[in-house]
Amino acid sequence: MTGDILIFGEVRNGQMKKVAAELVSGARTIAAGTGGAIDAVLVGRGAAAEAQKLSTLGLRRIAVIDDDLTEKYSTEGYAKVIADLFGEAGYGYVLLGATAMGRDLGARAVAKTDGVMFSDCVDLRFENGACVARRPVYAGKLYVDIAPAGERPVFITIRPNNLPPASAEGGSAEIAERPSGLTREMIRAVATEIVPLAGGRPDVTEADVIVSGGRALKESADFRLLEELADLLGGAVGASRAAVDAGLAPQTLQVGQTGKVVNPKLYIACGISGAIQHLAGMRTSKVIVAINKDPAAPIFEKATYGIVGDLFEVVPVLSEEIKKIL
Amino acid sequence: MTIQGLVMLALLAAVLVWFGLILRMLVRSLGLGRPEKRFDRWGARIWSVVVFVAAHARVLSQPAGLGHFAIFWGFIFITLGTIEHILGMVFPGFGFERLFGATAAGVISWLQDVLGLAVLVAIVVSLVRRFVFKPLRLRIDDPKARREAVLILCLIFVLIVLMYGVKGAEIVTGRIDPRTAPVSAVAARLIGGAADPHLLGDVLAWIHHLIIFFFLIYIPFSKHIHILGAIPNILLRNLGPAGTLSRMDFDDETAEKFGVSDVRDFTWKQLLDLYACTECGRCQAACPAYLTDKPLSPFRVIHMLRGHFVADRAALLSGGPEAEAQPIIGASASEEEIWACTTCGACMQECPPFIEHVQKIVDLRRYLVMTESRFPSEVQPVFRNMEVNYNPWSMGYTTRADWAAGLDVPLAAERKQFDVLYWVGCAGSFDARGQSVARAMVDLLRRAEVDFAILGVEEMCCGETARRMGNEYLAQTLIEANIEVLKKYRFNRILLACPHGLNSFRVEYPRFGYEVPAVHHSEFLLELLREGKLAPAAKRAGRGAYHDSCYLGRYNGVISQPREMLARAGVDNLAEFGRRGMRSFCCGAGGGRMWMEETIGTRINEARVDEALGLGVDTIYTACPFCTTMFEDGLKARGREEQVAVKDIAEIF
Repeated sequence: MTGDILIFGEVRNGQMKKVAAELVSGARTIAAGTGGAIDAVLVGRGAAAEAQKLSTLGLRRIAVIDDDLTEKYSTEGYAKVIADLFGEAGYGYVLLGATAMGRDLGARAVAKTDGVMFSDCVDLRFENGACVARRPVYAGKLYVDIAPAGERPVFITIRPNNLPPASAEGGSAEIAERPSGLTREMIRAVATEIVPLAGGRPDVTEADVIVSGGRALKESADFRLLEELADLLGGAVGASRAAVDAGLAPQTLQVGQTGKVVNPKLYIACGISGAIQHLAGMRTSKVIVAINKDPAAPIFEKATYGIVGDLFEVVPVLSEEIKKIL
Repeated sequence: MTIQGLVMLALLAAVLVWFGLILRMLVRSLGLGRPEKRFDRWGARIWSVVVFVAAHARVLSQPAGLGHFAIFWGFIFITLGTIEHILGMVFPGFGFERLFGATAAGVISWLQDVLGLAVLVAIVVSLVRRFVFKPLRLRIDDPKARREAVLILCLIFVLIVLMYGVKGAEIVTGRIDPRTAPVSAVAARLIGGAADPHLLGDVLAWIHHLIIFFFLIYIPFSKHIHILGAIPNILLRNLGPAGTLSRMDFDDETAEKFGVSDVRDFTWKQLLDLYACTECGRCQAACPAYLTDKPLSPFRVIHMLRGHFVADRAALLSGGPEAEAQPIIGASASEEEIWACTTCGACMQECPPFIEHVQKIVDLRRYLVMTESRFPSEVQPVFRNMEVNYNPWSMGYTTRADWAAGLDVPLAAERKQFDVLYWVGCAGSFDARGQSVARAMVDLLRRAEVDFAILGVEEMCCGETARRMGNEYLAQTLIEANIEVLKKYRFNRILLACPHGLNSFRVEYPRFGYEVPAVHHSEFLLELLREGKLAPAAKRAGRGAYHDSCYLGRYNGVISQPREMLARAGVDNLAEFGRRGMRSFCCGAGGGRMWMEETIGTRINEARVDEALGLGVDTIYTACPFCTTMFEDGLKARGREEQVAVKDIAEIF
């Protein structure tokens, strides 16, 4: 085991997730302590092109794996690729984003290496010769700091949007394409297709911006207004339970106690009164903008900014103004 | 003794021994269940039998119950005659006339004759009802249940006709006086021309008695086992409040599972319930889940559980404690059924033999939640929120008293000693709608100069919902933590604006060693109005209706108080729901359903809102935060939220 660090740059639909740059900054914290080098691995279609984005961040090597057997994500295949790289270089640390793929992959890969797993961390530091990771427990009421006991490799998944993205340091990493070394027999199940739910918009649980509609929307066609605004902001569309119950939006978009719990940077609530059932799902959003005709609507108590007005008038104006800025 | 008498004696002895063995097996089968204490208050228990068996008090609450009343009492007298006749065949010369005198025997005979006619009418009406009118409550997807019911009705019909034939023949042969048997006298005229009325009478009597013997052996294996099970079940019924659930013991370190997964996990009384079901289906016709097309019917639950128990019991009785019992969930009860229950208790309110459905459903939930960790996905965050923040929403526990900011509400921690503890509850503390009720309450308490305090951030979820969702462990954690806090302060009463909390403090907390008089705000505000401490509100125009919350009305009997409170406060001209009081219809939020999605069938709250809209009211008065939410949501779904208001009874002043 060395002090070297491997980061996993998740590529989806030919795009590398931005958490990769955040992992690099985490890796730098560790490298400052261990004196080790930082490598990265990118797997999947478009990995080679995306690897360029990491090349100026002071990395030593970037392994790129892109063949037929890695085209589609499979837990077994990807885990083997990571474990193989790990076995060759003897990394001390492997960092992954705490995304759907990272959580799935990290657990499987660490099992192949006899390492330890720190899941869902929000911060890292280096102390007394080891990396100390911080993770929230009890619904964020407390943090625990965890450090490895003994000499074992450590796999860490880190939540997106918690570490600052690493800035360019110059230099250029060696980008090496390599075969996956997989055979068809090794992969027992693959995700054959990922079906986007709402015309390519991000999922509400992953989006930075959510534009949500309530029962003030009269029919499902009215959701187009919200979709337009969401698309301008690169965000997702959400809905309140009342809107879903009324058949205006599918259940997959439901935000609230009995739907998805979301935590975006910006939540725009359009025509949502703010019943507690809804607040329970979105009240931790960083900025909440409420648009509602009723000035007494409870949503205004939780909102950072409130607009008292008819969403059918306000939202189009908002979209127009945003178009001008963009 | 004649040869006929000898044959009858031998047959009678054989049938009685056989029946005795069956009874023994049935009693032993109850022993498969766990212990439960039901052997106190014998006076009240015997009185229950008088009222609910002899007088049929619950059965007669519906017109169809008259038929049962006729068949029940008709059969008692007819059976007396059957016994007399059989014994007369065995011991020639035996008869009631010799035993009780001619007059008494004549009266018994006359009653048999007349009541027999009532039984015939009742059976015809029952069959017509079952096949022509097909009432909702008799619907079940198991064809065996219907076949059994029809077979038994037809056999009883035949028995009565045979009885008239036998007695008719005896009139012809001069053995009985036609004046003591007016209906049989008609039969006698029809038989009059028979070549050998003696032989005819004997043949009819034999057929009759053989059917009776068949009945004795058949009944314990059919739905008519209720003839054996219902009376002891009424005798041993729950005499305490209906809103109780059994308290689980978590100190038992040998427990390998929690809740009920097979019949041996039920108590003997829960198993006796299964033998008591008459399959009348009244429970199903009152069940909010069934009436809105959910896969739950309390009738079906009991029917399936009995089938399960009957199929399992022989192997369990012969196999001893090591025998494998068949799992119930998945085989005889589905998870969808188990989670569809609102625990409203309407089924138990209707049930003539006092079957306790809710405890069984909660016991199955307990197994799913605490042993298998299987529950609807929406329930997971609810449990977590209750564990972490002591409320069902994810609101931080430190913000529990934020609603009172600026109101200068006295805190128990500062006051230590006061008259009334106002338990605000989770809805009052966190839900904007509930907060407005809490603020109204504080205003009223101030106006009436009540010496009160709240617990503020020391208050936690009362545990009611967690209990009914089967998470007994979480519920007990919350209950015990609350009791620790409450014990620090001295006060006389605890006041709640939530019937679920009220039920907790009246019924559940005492079982955990904490007793304090608990009062609902409808009762408390009524008291203040009566004493003149609170002035009535301005008379209001328009028409409203008051909705009875299940946990307030049915479970705690608080029915007249909110109505009187409204009337005294200036809200009169109330319309009444058809389903009200003890028979009110659930809003759909009880039993943890508040936190679950309702995706099957129609929505319970919308069904209730439709009922309210049918009354033509402009305001629905509620006395429960769950009901308030459900009505407001239902009105929105119907697009009538602008026309019809939902007001808690505290919000009228």
